[in-house]
Amino acid sequence: MGARLAWVTGGVIVIVIAIVAFFGYFALQRPGPLKGPATDIHLEVVAAVGSALEWPRPNDPHPDWVGYLPTTVLRVPANSTINMTIDQEDSATGLRNPFWARVQGTTTGSMHVKYFDDKGNPQEGDMTSIDPTQAAHTFAIPDLGVFVPLLGVNANAPANSMNVITFSFHTPGKGVYHWQCFVPCGAKTVFGNGGPMQTYGYMAGQLIVE
Amino acid sequence: MATRTANPSRPHVIRVLIPWIILTVAGWIAVSFIHFPFDLSVQGQDQARTLLIMTYLATPVFMGVVVMLVYSGIVFRRRPGEQLVDGLPVTGNTRIQATWIVVSLILVLSLAVLGITTLISSQAAQAIGAAGRAIGGEGETGAAIKETGSELQVQVIAQQWYFTYRFPDYGGVETTHLELPAGVPVEFHVTSLDIIHSWWAYQLGVKADANPGVDNQFHMTPRTTGSFTVRCAELCGIWHGEMADTTGQVVSQGDFNTWIAQQQSYFAEIQKALPSYGPYYFPAPLTKGS
Repeated sequence: MGARLAWVTGGVIVIVIAIVAFFGYFALQRPGPLKGPATDIHLEVVAAVGSALEWPRPNDPHPDWVGYLPTTVLRVPANSTINMTIDQEDSATGLRNPFWARVQGTTTGSMHVKYFDDKGNPQEGDMTSIDPTQAAHTFAIPDLGVFVPLLGVNANAPANSMNVITFSFHTPGKGVYHWQCFVPCGAKTVFGNGGPMQTYGYMAGQLIVE
Repeated sequence: MATRTANPSRPHVIRVLIPWIILTVAGWIAVSFIHFPFDLSVQGQDQARTLLIMTYLATPVFMGVVVMLVYSGIVFRRRPGEQLVDGLPVTGNTRIQATWIVVSLILVLSLAVLGITTLISSQAAQAIGAAGRAIGGEGETGAAIKETGSELQVQVIAQQWYFTYRFPDYGGVETTHLELPAGVPVEFHVTSLDIIHSWWAYQLGVKADANPGVDNQFHMTPRTTGSFTVRCAELCGIWHGEMADTTGQVVSQGDFNTWIAQQQSYFAEIQKALPSYGPYYFPAPLTKGS
């Protein structure tokens, strides 16, 4: 009788320990950072979507609006590195708030720019900021802390030139984040922030992290 | 055909009084669980306390109205087949009239004294004044930034569609997020670079319009460490709903010193390109090609 009781008691204890260990194992697990594949995104920024060099939209209802092409809705994987290449074809307008001339939130804290200098000669290099008066647009995802100023094409650059800006940033978990431009590039609108600045497909976009 | 006869008034009083007392006590218990979220600052805590007391005082009044409505609707309803007749003539009751006048007077005066006391208290008055200006005032246009000694100066700069902050006490450094030291009075200067926005940090109990060309000032003292959310409370375009920042922090003085030093270092490169610190800015260009 005593031995039987001991076996039953021991068995119950073992089962309880096994159950606690089983659920405890899952309860104490903390998912590590997921590492998704790097994603490359190629965009073109133009002064008029109707006359873009790479993705022209001649039949666009607003062919003279500025815009990011070919789309402003970007789908990217979560917890990944996004490698951005932006072909910037517009001339400088200047930032209303010079503060946005500082590169923020990229993986290296800088961006790589291929551009043309005042003499029209091609140059390239890493930059952490630009002259605020020489900004044509910005690529900014405020919720992710990503703010990248885009250098305007120099007036002395060859015809149909573009500045090529490359940088990378990390995506967080799933979510939808807006991205925008901080240069008042919506010509003929209140403070330059209407028209294309508030229209999807031009300067207003979303980053869909999935 | 039945005709209702008037009941003596005493049973009505008792039937109304009992559920009124029960519901009032239940209401007070429910009110005790209310936590107003804007208690991260001294001014917000004052407002929360005032609102809570007013809610306690309003509970028996609200429950009395509800009980009377429901009771009257049930007891004095016209039943099927009942003849429609006038009620008994009311001749007035001096004791009842005196009672409700005195009770109402005491309640209203108590609320008035309570509200005014909070309003004119040195700290709360300034915070509420800011909220008042946010509703319809014009702020202090063009006023020079005044030296106030121990107060930390923070300028809020609204722009489509983000708030940035400048700290004149720290070389005019501009930041994308806001951290404040606990226990240190802060003098805010709110302005805009483009259209009308409204800076609203509800855990701090403050909201103020951000108007272009206007320096809208208010004072606030963070009470304890914690986090707060900043939102725009003025419809300002396509990304108005996204013009929010959940990373606001009230930290210790030591942590604040560390944070502001990091910001000064990180943004030193762009600092020279910023305009001199002023009450507001008229930046150019207004639009592309202008």
